[in-house]
Amino acid sequence: MTALIPNDPGTLPPAPTPGPAGETRRLPDAARLSAAQRKEVAVRWTLSRHARRLLTLAAAAVVIAVITRRVEFAGLAAPALLLLGAGRPSRPAKLAVRMRPTTTRLHEDEPAAIDVALDTWVSPGPDGARAGAEAGADGRGAHEVRWILHPGHGVDADGATSVIGDAARFTFTVPRWGKRPVGSVEAVLHDRWRLTEGHFTLPLPSIDVYPHPAVQRTRVVLSRLPNRLGEHSARVPGEGTEFTGVREYVPGDRQRQINWPASTRRGRLQVNTFAAERSQDVVLLVDATSDVGEPGSSALDLALRGASGAARAYLDARDRVGVITYQWGGARWLAPGLGRRQVYRIIDAMLAADASWSRGAVLHRLPRAALPPGALVVVFSPLLDQRFVEALRDMRERGFALMVMDVLNVDPPASRFSFVDDIAARIWRMEQQAIRFSLRELGIPVVHWDGVSPLDLPLAPYTRRPVVVRR
Amino acid sequence: MTPRLPTEPRTRASVVPGTLHADVALAVAGPRISALLLGAACVAWTATPTVRSGWASFTLVISIIAVVAGALRLMLADVPEPEDQYFLSVPLRAWLWFLAVLRVPPWEEVAVVMLVWLEVIHPARPWHTFALGAGLVAYLLTVHIAESGTKPSRLLRSHAKILISGACLMAIAAGTAMLPAGAPGAGSALLRVIAAIAIVLAAALVLPS
Repeated sequence: MTALIPNDPGTLPPAPTPGPAGETRRLPDAARLSAAQRKEVAVRWTLSRHARRLLTLAAAAVVIAVITRRVEFAGLAAPALLLLGAGRPSRPAKLAVRMRPTTTRLHEDEPAAIDVALDTWVSPGPDGARAGAEAGADGRGAHEVRWILHPGHGVDADGATSVIGDAARFTFTVPRWGKRPVGSVEAVLHDRWRLTEGHFTLPLPSIDVYPHPAVQRTRVVLSRLPNRLGEHSARVPGEGTEFTGVREYVPGDRQRQINWPASTRRGRLQVNTFAAERSQDVVLLVDATSDVGEPGSSALDLALRGASGAARAYLDARDRVGVITYQWGGARWLAPGLGRRQVYRIIDAMLAADASWSRGAVLHRLPRAALPPGALVVVFSPLLDQRFVEALRDMRERGFALMVMDVLNVDPPASRFSFVDDIAARIWRMEQQAIRFSLRELGIPVVHWDGVSPLDLPLAPYTRRPVVVRR
Repeated sequence: MTPRLPTEPRTRASVVPGTLHADVALAVAGPRISALLLGAACVAWTATPTVRSGWASFTLVISIIAVVAGALRLMLADVPEPEDQYFLSVPLRAWLWFLAVLRVPPWEEVAVVMLVWLEVIHPARPWHTFALGAGLVAYLLTVHIAESGTKPSRLLRSHAKILISGACLMAIAAGTAMLPAGAPGAGSALLRVIAAIAIVLAAALVLPS
């Protein structure tokens, strides 16, 4: 029963100015929501409980008065009928509501809020009356509005879920990533005499909840970097800032690079040499096949949090970062790119991959744009899918530099008193160890991440110096 | 009839639980206790003197149940219901069923109808009926105050003229009922009833909104 007025939230037209009595008017509390989404909603009016009680008393008294022909019972109905007849409330059939979430994107457990406010009465009711007719010039006091928030699935309301007033703000948090419908807001309008109640429900928009990014301050840098300007010191000489050595002057060298102390000692002109500064291509490979563990700390949760943290870290170092999401043999990919926006593109790509089964691309047939040669591939996986492990082996044999972040933190459930369960669990553990051992034998570092500590801790052995990868 | 939502704060006291001051507690509990007392007074008023005809005992029992249940509904209005109602224990399910029984039926309407019927089965006593009408209106207004959290002084101020007019009309009706009929027969009595209803409707129409 809601109709969205086709307005860009950021470019809403100015609100209608107050006119003569009975015309469209704006309630003052809605002014602060001028940039919000405006919706027209139909109001369903019903008798209030109070009115129903008065009506019952009046009807019972009148019926008995007529049947028994006793006048005093007609008088018994008088106060109730007068109360019912005196309050002739205005009942607008439609009204406009403004709604604005404080953000459309947030991270897990990050507080957010949504503002709702009555804006204008847009159409008269069946009796021709308009809201505000019985109140002051600003329309205040004609109706009392009670807003009730019904949070959607996976949304936790933080503050009050019921607010009285022309405008309301509901705060909430979302504990897990994903595209979450915030829920709905039910509004109940009471007239001044509380004889009628108007009801309408306002569906709230969905909100994108991003995984909470893991902390990563250090970066893994390859020894061979592509010939592209960046911030990582390469092994080849160049125009960087990191000093690498001294050599004899040749015509064409800059005079400012002359090392005078060395020239004095050797008797010939010497110049400083510096390392080139290059950037690298980083591809984050997220295994979305297996989601094991408690919701909120499952393998997929850790993979997404780790990948988003790594994306931020490498993009801060001016690296080009892309993402490949592997799922049941298929893959979705986003080509490496630069800039802050790439973080959001990467996270959106990961969340979109989770929302649908993608069977278009195959991991071993990805184009060069998705998996550039010489790129560092950082894998976030619980290594439970054998096809994915085979795909990693295949990529390593094709010469890619891989680094696996193991996000498996749970064991299969087993009974402590069952011998068979115990044996099965031991076999499973040995199989997992064998998988990791075989990957290490191929030259793929496998580090375990518990999801709590920063990514720098497990990556510490590989971030101190450039990683040499044999092709 | 829609059951009351468990999360809506009915009064100021329910907004900040645990910080209940004496004046706030009195403001919350006062209308609820008053509603119970007014309902009990109306029941006692109509039940005396005791009559044996017209299902009087049954009507009296139902009216007592309705008044008590309505009062309990007001007392337990702030008790929330659990959001997740799966796999609840038997006592908790019984408690929720009890709350639903209290919150869903229109107890006050039942009480009003029963009390009016109790008054009917008594012999004609116009001024007694006048007092019952005043008590019933006061009972319904008190229930409304307890439900909505409206300030009694504000509500009475806005309703003062109407209540005075209603009391006058009730008094006129009671006085008219005490007069002997103008002519013998059923037609005369019916004519008086219709005239009284017409006066009430006319008053309702001419009162300013």
